[in-house]
Amino acid sequence: MELHILIVDDSSVMRAFIRRVLELSGLEVGRCLEASNGEEALRLLEDNWVDAVLTDINMPTMDGEELLRRMSGHPVLRLIPVLVVSTDRTDGRVQRMLTLGAKGYVTKPFAPETLREELEHSLAVVDGTE
Amino acid sequence: MEPNEIQIGLAAAVEEVLETMCFTSVLSSGEGAAPATMEETLPASGDEGPPADREVAVPAEAEADAGARACTAELRFEGNPSGGCRVSVPWNLARAVGAGFLGLEEMEVSDSQTEEVVCELANMICGSVLSRLESEATFRIIHPELVPPERGAGFEGAGSNRWFDLGDGILTVSLELQPAI
Repeated sequence: MELHILIVDDSSVMRAFIRRVLELSGLEVGRCLEASNGEEALRLLEDNWVDAVLTDINMPTMDGEELLRRMSGHPVLRLIPVLVVSTDRTDGRVQRMLTLGAKGYVTKPFAPETLREELEHSLAVVDGTE
Repeated sequence: MEPNEIQIGLAAAVEEVLETMCFTSVLSSGEGAAPATMEETLPASGDEGPPADREVAVPAEAEADAGARACTAELRFEGNPSGGCRVSVPWNLARAVGAGFLGLEEMEVSDSQTEEVVCELANMICGSVLSRLESEATFRIIHPELVPPERGAGFEGAGSNRWFDLGDGILTVSLELQPAI
């Protein structure tokens, strides 16, 4: 089954890096949408279903924490697993994002296999297979 | 915090970022600003030297690096601790690192992509080094920005500096930590 993914990061080179890692990971990646902040991400999600959202935290306009809060409070979007990809590895921040509903947390820098494993884990949690 | 702890943290953070995200290895590194000559790239006491079979940079290249136009990114962080981090890379090396990051040929990497990759390096290096130095830290990293060449590669006075030889040039990192209030 092809996975449709939304990557949310204000850095276009980081979005390109994540897209490349996903493509090389062995996962069957279908459509790969991109947004540069939470607001853009929500607009894309109005018209596009994705299997997972990978989001940074520190972004202008709407940060990853607010994006996660809005998705968690939405009857449909709350079903999409969110994986946080951030440089912030402080315990408080990780815990807050997981409490808000993130299914996984990857800190930058990350090895390609780490991203794949965390994404698979997040999808499995939502499927109920883990 | 001991200066040596900062140097060890900087070395580990930069190596981790370059190896996992840019598929680039550090050949040698040392404390201080970028060396201008080959003699200065020889390891100082306690620093790991280059492998014996490694062909080290010739002086002309090293001097060219030192004088070359650099791409420098800086960010500030607030909290406990507060401070700043600056990463400076000669332009040719920055493009090569950008190519590694993006999986492109060097000629395919634009100037803006090169600058953005150096900003991302600063972001990741800073996050990595702070978490190594302050495992209980609570801080917020402010978005990195490019530094005009006239402001130089390092912080004046208070910063800890370390250089990294990547074979094609020298990357330098400066970290400024302000004491907790």
